Amino acid sequence: MLEVKNITFSYNTQETLGNITFDAAPGEILAIVGTNGAGKTTLLRLLACLLMQDSGNTLIDGVDSLTRPIAYRAKIGYLSERCPLYEEMTVEEYLTYRLRLKGERQFRVRRRLDEVIAQCRLDDHRKTMIRLLSFGFRKRVGLAEALTAHPPVLLLDDPLAGLDLPQRKQTAEVLTSVSGRSAIILAGHEISFLLEWCTRFLVLHRGRLVGSYRVNDYEKDLLQRKIEQLMTYGSEEVGPL
Amino acid sequence: MSALQVTWLREVRTFRRSFTGYVPIALFLSVVGWTFVMSLRKSDGGVLQLQTIWGVSVSPWIPVLCSVLTMRLFAEERATGMIDLLLVIPMRERTLVFGKFLSALTLTVLAVSLSSLLPLVIVPWLSPALKSALHPAAFAMTGIILLLQSALWCAVGTMVSVFFRNQTMAAVASILLCGGIPLAFYAVILVWLPEFRLNATWMPLITNVYDFSTGLVSTYAIVFYLVMTGLSLFICSKTLALLRLRS
Repeated sequence: MLEVKNITFSYNTQETLGNITFDAAPGEILAIVGTNGAGKTTLLRLLACLLMQDSGNTLIDGVDSLTRPIAYRAKIGYLSERCPLYEEMTVEEYLTYRLRLKGERQFRVRRRLDEVIAQCRLDDHRKTMIRLLSFGFRKRVGLAEALTAHPPVLLLDDPLAGLDLPQRKQTAEVLTSVSGRSAIILAGHEISFLLEWCTRFLVLHRGRLVGSYRVNDYEKDLLQRKIEQLMTYGSEEVGPL
Repeated sequence: MSALQVTWLREVRTFRRSFTGYVPIALFLSVVGWTFVMSLRKSDGGVLQLQTIWGVSVSPWIPVLCSVLTMRLFAEERATGMIDLLLVIPMRERTLVFGKFLSALTLTVLAVSLSSLLPLVIVPWLSPALKSALHPAAFAMTGIILLLQSALWCAVGTMVSVFFRNQTMAAVASILLCGGIPLAFYAVILVWLPEFRLNATWMPLITNVYDFSTGLVSTYAIVFYLVMTGLSLFICSKTLALLRLRS
């Protein structure tokens, strides 16, 4: 279980994130939404230990990111927005390399590799050089890499960006299928699509957490309007719903 | 397989697959060969031994080779954004740094070893009279000092690579730093500590090669190279850790 307690972060002297508190458990797909510059990527980078918070704590199953960073990092899978990959490797080589780097035992590497390749529907591209893949398939390789070690927490920065509708649906299917064992936290913009399969929404506005909604508690159209209003104005009370 | 081995293997394979490994080594061997032949001609009838001529011909070019081999180690990762995915992996920064450093050192040692074929195989084949002048133990000692120097320059190159996103800039900065370290040391000794000028004679790189190749093994020199190598790698891993604070 991921617990985020009163996280604050500043770039130089400008506060980018202020007093963020939430938690997420396996079975949840938590969408962090907000306008550009709201702090979504910064929050995910903080949770992935790529930045260090000014104050507050982040824990996964009781392991603190500051006091036991390596044990903490062993519990996360991360997909960055740019989705960088080693161009000169084949899909299989890259995923094997990452699995070994994560310390996966030799006898499990092949099994895990077969699992994620099937899960992300990369069977036909197993031996393809990464530089020859389209953007959609590169994203899938990035997602497969994040899934390889069965992490209890998955952090995905805009996993749907640049994908066409069938690819989005496939990504949503993959994430829904792994949500039973991992808490999924993703940043995104496409609220109407995310509403179809995410279980919870966190709305960020100028670095502040201004709303937290469980999808099942609301009627979807109403929730979409609420979220859009919060993203724009930072408050539900401004403007008509 | 440990994370260190995985990192090392990946880097060595990348060198094998790209021109960043072959071309610098080929150029290095050409330049070293030319320097060796010129030095051999110059010392014809002199007192210098074959292993000394070889060591003195190789030593000045190692910083250049190391700078080119190490330039992409971290600069490329930073430019492509792969550094994020490496920093998310549950391993210490020093493991990553050491794995990359070892890969560059492997290639440097390979290049230096190949260059030793010239005095050990080609010259005796061309001039059988020189065969009697070959002393394997002295060659081994020259090899040790060249290995220590290679380790230092690879460590400096790896450290410099962390500070740049552009590989060419990293290589240039690394060459400047490799040339700058001995020069700065001399400047400090000459300007501020002239009384230590004689005590510091063990420092010059070429003198070290000359001493080791003639059997004068200096513990000071060994300690100096090991400490500076360790220091460079330490700075490199701490800089990598600091990226989390300021990126």
